[in-house]
Amino acid sequence: MTAERRYHRDKDAVACVLEDITLLYHRASGQTHMMISPVPEILDALDEEADSTAAQLHALLERHYDLGEPEQAIAEIEAHLESLTALGLVCRS
Amino acid sequence: MRHQLSLTIGPASFRIGSAWRQPLQQLAELYEGYPRPSGETADFTVRLEPTALLRKWFRPSIFITGDHGLADAAPMSLNHGLLAAEMGMNLQMALGWRRHLLLHASSVEKDGRALVMTGESGSGKSTLAAQLGERGWRLMGDEFALLDLVTGELLPFPRLVSLKNGAIDVIAAEVSADRMGPLLGNTAKGDIRHLVPRDDAVARMRVGARPALLLFPRFGHAVDVRPVGQGEVFMRLTQASTNYVALGEAGFGALTRFVKHVPARAIDFPSGEDAIAMVERLWEELA
Repeated sequence: MTAERRYHRDKDAVACVLEDITLLYHRASGQTHMMISPVPEILDALDEEADSTAAQLHALLERHYDLGEPEQAIAEIEAHLESLTALGLVCRS
Repeated sequence: MRHQLSLTIGPASFRIGSAWRQPLQQLAELYEGYPRPSGETADFTVRLEPTALLRKWFRPSIFITGDHGLADAAPMSLNHGLLAAEMGMNLQMALGWRRHLLLHASSVEKDGRALVMTGESGSGKSTLAAQLGERGWRLMGDEFALLDLVTGELLPFPRLVSLKNGAIDVIAAEVSADRMGPLLGNTAKGDIRHLVPRDDAVARMRVGARPALLLFPRFGHAVDVRPVGQGEVFMRLTQASTNYVALGEAGFGALTRFVKHVPARAIDFPSGEDAIAMVERLWEELA
């Protein structure tokens, strides 16, 4: 069940917010990532220590953003988390 | 090597060895006003070697090598020996320099603030820097700008200015003949002639400046000025840097600080005079 997967942010990265884009330097890989919405918002909502599920992140994000239909929004958040996990920026518990 | 010359350009020192006298003699004349390295050691060694033993004498053909080399670098004729030495020094900087973030950009300074110009070969950044260097600005460099990783200051690398094709006559008309090197015809980039920077550019080669304006010049188009978003500026500058990846987080910190604090514009211009007028106006408005 993907809804049960829990994630946390990799500590070893430093972000820089520019006018039109957010940059993330990942120390472990030495790579610089250029991110646009909603990725910076998802990373912001993710804790470095405690683990969160996509549904928990959705609950946090919908306080500030209009995310539309919840089931679809949670699936999209999960997909972003999986992509970020593949890059090493997010860790799965 | 049979012939040797040591040079200091900005913060870097070079020892250039050559199997032939001619390239080093030309280099020594053009770099006459530059300081010589104080110690025995140099940051980089450049070697101009024959491609094969006989090619030292018979249709002499130069292979550029040194501390850092490119395996597939094309050999050059002895007539282009001066260019080979310059290319060799550039190659060492591009591949080996780690003390600053190296940007493939020209830069000039006024009142302690620097104008940085970056773009492809042929964009006009070298010619524009050379022209500004004759009109009240201090030339900091036509090829590489060095960004200090800690202070964010821009440091000069005022080697000879490499003028190409149409730019040669434009600059030659403005400067005394003794500041122009020999004409190197039919190189891979067409005709090339080197310009010796003015005395103040050499005397102040250790004096940095705060970057205050970034331009992306484009020669050969109708006059136009466009803002460039910070994301695009960042991406283009990582492409213009040869050591961004190697410097890791220090490079990331230096470059993001530059992008956040230095206003940027893309400028198109049909002539040098148009470009200079645009630069002076943008400098007044933004720097």
